[in-house]
Amino acid sequence: MANRNLDAHVKRIGLQNKIATGILTCIVGFVLVLLAAIVVYILVQGAGKALSPGFLTNPSTDDVAPGILYQLFDSFYMLLITLVISVPISLGAAIFLVEYAPDNWITSAASTAIETLSSLPSIVVGMFGSLFFVVTLGWGISIIAGALALTMFNIPILVRTIQQALEDVPRSQHDAALAMGLTRWETTVNVMLPAAMPAIVTGIVISAGRVFGEAAALIFTSGSAAARLNFASTNLASPTNPFNIFRPAETLAVHIWKLKMEPTPGNDEIVWGTAAVLLVCVLLFNVLARVLGKFLARRLTAE
Amino acid sequence: MSDTTQNEALLTTRNVTVTYDLTHEALHKTDLTFKGGEVTALIGPSGCGKSTFLRCLNLMNREIPKCRVGGEIFYHGRNINTKTENLFELRKSIGMVFQQPTPFRKSIRENILFAPKKHGRLHGKDEEDELVETSLKQAALWDEVKDKLKQSAHALSGGQQQRLCIARTLAMKPDVILYDEPCSALDPISTFTIEETIRSIAEAGAGICQIIVTHNMEQAGRVSDRTAFFYMGDMVETGTTQQIFSAPKDQRLSDYLTGRFG
Ligand SMILES: Nc1ncnc2c1ncn2[C@@H]1O[C@H](COP(=O)(O)OP(=O)(O)OP(=O)(O)O)[C@@H](O)[C@H]1O
Ligand SMILES: [Mg+2]
Repeated sequence: MANRNLDAHVKRIGLQNKIATGILTCIVGFVLVLLAAIVVYILVQGAGKALSPGFLTNPSTDDVAPGILYQLFDSFYMLLITLVISVPISLGAAIFLVEYAPDNWITSAASTAIETLSSLPSIVVGMFGSLFFVVTLGWGISIIAGALALTMFNIPILVRTIQQALEDVPRSQHDAALAMGLTRWETTVNVMLPAAMPAIVTGIVISAGRVFGEAAALIFTSGSAAARLNFASTNLASPTNPFNIFRPAETLAVHIWKLKMEPTPGNDEIVWGTAAVLLVCVLLFNVLARVLGKFLARRLTAE
Repeated sequence: MSDTTQNEALLTTRNVTVTYDLTHEALHKTDLTFKGGEVTALIGPSGCGKSTFLRCLNLMNREIPKCRVGGEIFYHGRNINTKTENLFELRKSIGMVFQQPTPFRKSIRENILFAPKKHGRLHGKDEEDELVETSLKQAALWDEVKDKLKQSAHALSGGQQQRLCIARTLAMKPDVILYDEPCSALDPISTFTIEETIRSIAEAGAGICQIIVTHNMEQAGRVSDRTAFFYMGDMVETGTTQQIFSAPKDQRLSDYLTGRFG
């Protein structure tokens, strides 16, 4: 009797298991197909243009073969400035929250604020950036205004991933270092950060992919004017100097948005070409994140 | 540190109490004395406060939020349970080995040199090499790892990792070493080697005081000179290991030894 019950039970569990596995496989399959469809569609639509002569090397103002050279440069430069600002701040905030913050209402208020920041719509962050950085501080439509808007958008994600990475390091490592007379700071810098580094780097690169494709936060802050850059310029204050952070800049994502808004013949092709380039860049960020993370993890454990 | 004689009381606790979460008193007034060159075992059923007591001795309880330690802890005759005590200095001479081996993600060599370097104690490669060799030899690990000092400590077996942690602690030249169930994650052979290591440290005549928390009665019998029995936050009985095991006075202790609970 008991045996038959057990058999039935085992059978039922087996069936449940099969159904669950089946459903999960379907969901994963659906997501994969969706991703593949988007990627393939955009690449097919845009590859021709993206690989056409001059597309990656001409400015968008070129009469014969308009390209996206400056947008490409501006996208990377904007990303660089954003990371230079947001990584140290996020690292500091995450270390403070994990290692130092007392367990009180101020800390939990700070955590909540950071979480809320991450759910603000990026267009609203852009609006704020335009009011504060562009108008109030008088910086004008500029790379720095755009980068700061992106920073606000990036910090919550980075703080979370770095916090998680630090929390994932076994607590025993931390205690062992303290028990050897190291200060909290020495412990953080010499034990916790190195151990968390693979996850931190992966998190930074993945966030870079998100920042790279962001458009809404930039429209009002760094603008959509086609830049005119002079790579030979040595005057950092010149509006054509590529590295001047107070000049306007148009990134790839904003470029797509702008061209879509002003339908002129031939624009569609450029839009698809740009989209393909943007997509490839973002995919590369993701691949890079994985490769770097694995590489660092291996170096750390088999030194 | 250098003039420590075999029988000097290195550590003495007086009326030490520990409260967690500001209300839960996990350890009631505890008085114990630990001498240089001796090994003391702390035994008792799970949750009786052995680890809690051990963590008082190097002030590690200060790292736990809302944990308060009352009473006095004398180290070389000086009360260290004060607000002004320099924790970081103190922990350089009171080492600790944990239940799980905790090698850092560094090479074997760097695991040993890490803290002494941070404390600015080492000058030049010769000193470093010597410290690595002597510490590893003291922890009975040298022969197994002398050819792979540059390899990751994580590639060692659990028992080797634990001996590395002991070596790392010895490299700080402490006069007290605290062990919290150092063998509970290890196989019998590794356990045996660690016990040998503890005994050889005790018998080396350096006057190092060792205190070991253990659940294993045979282990307590093998490694310790003295034993203290804890029960529900009280230090119930203490004495020489021989006396504790052969002639327990307290009923709870004899029940524990005969395996009636724990
Ligand atoms: N960090 C902590 N926060 C709150 N309570 C704690 C903490 N650590 C220990 N306690 C409590 O203090 C009491 C004693 O715990 P302790 O870890 O010292 O026991 P133990 O004798 O080491 O037990 P075991 O043999 O299981 O390790 C237990 O009731 C435990 O729940
Ligand atoms: Mg314990």
